[in-house]
Amino acid sequence: MQTISTDVLVIGGGATGLGCVRDLAMRGMRAILVEKGDLTNGTTGRYHGLLHSGGRYVTKDPQSATECAHENAILRRIMPHCLEDTSGFFVITPWDDPSYGDIFAANCRKTEVPVQEISVAEMLRREPALNPQISRVFEVPDGSADSFLAAHTNALSARTYGAQILTYHRVVELIRTGDHVVAAVVEDLRTSERIYVECGFILNTAGAWAGQIAALAGVKVTVVPGKGTMVAMSHRMVNTVINRCKLPADGDIIVPVHTVAVIGTTDIHVPDPDVYGIEPHEVQLMLEEGEKLVPGFTQHRALRAWAGVRPLYKDQDVANDRDISRTYKLLDHQQRDGVDGIISMVGGKWTTYRLMAKDAVDTIAQRLGNTRACRTADEPMPVPDFEHRSGNHAGVGAEKLYWLGKPLAAVEEEHAYGDLICECELVSRARIHAAIASGASNLDDIRRDVRMGMGPCQGGWCIYRTTALLYEQRAQAAENASADRPAFDIEHANAAMLHFLQERWKGLTPVLWGDQLRQARLDELIYIHVLGAHRLISHAEQGGGLVTEER
Amino acid sequence: MNYDTIVIGAGIAGMLAAIGRAEAGERVLSLSKGHGATHWATGCLDLLDIGDSDPLAGIESVIALHPDHPYALAGIDAVESGAERLRAACESGGYPLVGSLRRNLQVPTAVGTLRTTCLVPVTMAAGDARQLPRQGDGSGPLLIAGFHELRDFFPPMVAANLRTLGFAAEAAYLQMPPHERTLDFSTVSLARLFDQPAFCADVGRQLRQLVQHGIYSRIGMPAVLGLANATQVVSDLQSAAGALIFEIPTLPVSVPGIRLYRALEATLLQAGGRIQIGSFVQRAEGKGKRLEAIYSEAAAREQRHYAARYVLATGGIAGGGVRADHAGVMIETALGLPLRTPNARADWFAVRFLSRSGHPVFRTGVAADAGLRPLDAVGHVVYENVAVAGSALAGCDPIREGALEGVAAATGWKAGRV
Repeated sequence: MQTISTDVLVIGGGATGLGCVRDLAMRGMRAILVEKGDLTNGTTGRYHGLLHSGGRYVTKDPQSATECAHENAILRRIMPHCLEDTSGFFVITPWDDPSYGDIFAANCRKTEVPVQEISVAEMLRREPALNPQISRVFEVPDGSADSFLAAHTNALSARTYGAQILTYHRVVELIRTGDHVVAAVVEDLRTSERIYVECGFILNTAGAWAGQIAALAGVKVTVVPGKGTMVAMSHRMVNTVINRCKLPADGDIIVPVHTVAVIGTTDIHVPDPDVYGIEPHEVQLMLEEGEKLVPGFTQHRALRAWAGVRPLYKDQDVANDRDISRTYKLLDHQQRDGVDGIISMVGGKWTTYRLMAKDAVDTIAQRLGNTRACRTADEPMPVPDFEHRSGNHAGVGAEKLYWLGKPLAAVEEEHAYGDLICECELVSRARIHAAIASGASNLDDIRRDVRMGMGPCQGGWCIYRTTALLYEQRAQAAENASADRPAFDIEHANAAMLHFLQERWKGLTPVLWGDQLRQARLDELIYIHVLGAHRLISHAEQGGGLVTEER
Repeated sequence: MNYDTIVIGAGIAGMLAAIGRAEAGERVLSLSKGHGATHWATGCLDLLDIGDSDPLAGIESVIALHPDHPYALAGIDAVESGAERLRAACESGGYPLVGSLRRNLQVPTAVGTLRTTCLVPVTMAAGDARQLPRQGDGSGPLLIAGFHELRDFFPPMVAANLRTLGFAAEAAYLQMPPHERTLDFSTVSLARLFDQPAFCADVGRQLRQLVQHGIYSRIGMPAVLGLANATQVVSDLQSAAGALIFEIPTLPVSVPGIRLYRALEATLLQAGGRIQIGSFVQRAEGKGKRLEAIYSEAAAREQRHYAARYVLATGGIAGGGVRADHAGVMIETALGLPLRTPNARADWFAVRFLSRSGHPVFRTGVAADAGLRPLDAVGHVVYENVAVAGSALAGCDPIREGALEGVAAATGWKAGRV
């Protein structure tokens, strides 16, 4: 077993872990991050993409609201390319208690969430599709965030500062000497090789999986995985974030994200963060609630449904999971459990990831005698390579909002029409190549990088094309023997294609009716009748170590 | 205008039904919302996926075991005569289908697996897996050749998967010959370029060089080798290259499918039929057990059509003939016929996308009697003067069963006779 040593081992490649590893590296500490899947494979890649103003928490969770308000302003400064400045509104519909409006506005002021009441007429001018029956409207600085891009941005910056990030590496053991955690054994899931990591400190940022990691150190941490189901609709029927002005409940928010609008969410306790399904009634409820905000909502095409698991930390008895605080909690296991060398950062939300990282790293820095100040609130972030060509990021085009015309302009500029691999999301061959070159191992990784396969056709054409490009590029790299990655052959490519087809299917089945059902049948026609891809199953079952585990 | 027969839907089923009626001397109108599955599928005739054995024998077993199966409703005679009529239509278009109804073929796909089919256009004949060079058999290897500019066909992937099946296969990308500037190479635009002799000759020269270098005995290429003159294009390329050449179906849009449609279209027009594409039949008017009129919508105008009899060949869920709403209610979109469908939405899908058994929802369709007349839930005929054909029929999953064109040809041809 190979042995490596580092100051801090960060466990979990979601927003929090990546924020931590960057902060650690910026302060000059040696840091390694391990993630059992791809970056953002967990909850970070499965949320609705809301940059919180804090408005949703002003009444029930004021501390969280204030944290969101402050971080919102900071993120806008340091990573504008990951954000869309949509603005957001809290609207009172006929189904909501009209008296909550005043309470909401007062609580916003108390919690420092910028708020301004606007007229219903002004609201309808900005969002003509909204229900004209709404009675009051409050504007807050909500936004839309690309959590995939933000993760890669943090990773890029962290690496620049010398951090090491290992994806598809799972922690299998934490080693204790007495009451001190001193090392971890991690397994490379692609090669089954194990590495012994000696470390000064372990930072557990495994989110919904944090309890499982803590247990490896013999410490009990109760994280309640709260399943939130979301549905992506094929149109941006709104260009701004629309919230129901009431206490947070199911299906009360619509977030425009790139080409789609996402409605969320439910909140259902699940015993295991790896085992959950999406029930048809959840989707039905979401559509019905959407109808209250945008009449005709159910007539729009639903593209897919998915769920993420909130890492809610439970330190006391609360009856309803929605009542668990959305703020984060730093668990110092030395003070809490008498086990040194490990801390856990649990709870929180994407919008506050930077603050969570700062607090965690402050604690570790103090223990390790590092006195350098946190600079993450001030230093702007770099833009990853694969994003440069998309035209999405700030500085290209004067428009504030996302629209498909932006990538289209980039495509036009490069005369890349004939080279669009994913036509729904206007992803060119060059961007797919860049995503593969930057380390994407399978189609799901590429999807998270460039949105390939996320449009209305759900991969009908681009899954085949991208598989072939992945094979051509990786096989060539393997032939050049310069590859420090495991060898890649056609069996891996086939497995990647089958895996991705199945992943898409999981997200599709809850929303298959109308045109999307028709699309699914067309995809069958392509993959079974034309391509005979089902005949790959038997040999793929013996190959393909590069796909993530089945959930 | 009054017609003897109006056929709704212009896929293989609808076109064969219309041809049958028109050739019998009837006044026939073909009404359709758009093109049928021909434009999406492979352009071959799949009868039944039972490997390379006798598909007709297989269909006879299906008929014996499943009396509700569309093949059983059509009968074995219609299976044969429908396929033969399709073959004759292609033959007269100078684009013959080859193969035998008594023995399936297996041909390479654009992934590099083998697919089972029965009749293939002559442009695909040299892809018959029984004749492809195998590793170590001493014959010149197979070359899979394509173009970087075409996003719907990737030679290295095809060749690599064929190698895992034991074939001696290599891959090459060709240089795109000089041509008028085209930004987007679709299968169809590339096929049109192949219809130009200079373009074709340039590709032929490149292939010859490759053959001289690699001693290739056969060359597989994307199915874009000409739209109007495919048979000639392939023959010219073979002479130039000095090797046998075959097409492999690409991602849609399907060039071989368009050729197939054009052969059917020419046959129907020749027989005096009328074709009106862009008309979406959305409702119907019946009196007792007779369908009196249908209404189509085109350019925001509703149009009424009368005929003595009607053929419904609108396809299944893929074709848009069957549609589900978000509450899980299924409707037949043209005439509002009763559907046979899985009970609950929970039963619609298998867990795995590529599950061998397929997804029950895609077996949804109209139940019919031996005259292909639509039946209601208790088995009574809904309209005496309507016949249902193709994927709109319940009781089979034509894609999973490898019977997509076979079911269409058999039931379509029968619907044109009953």
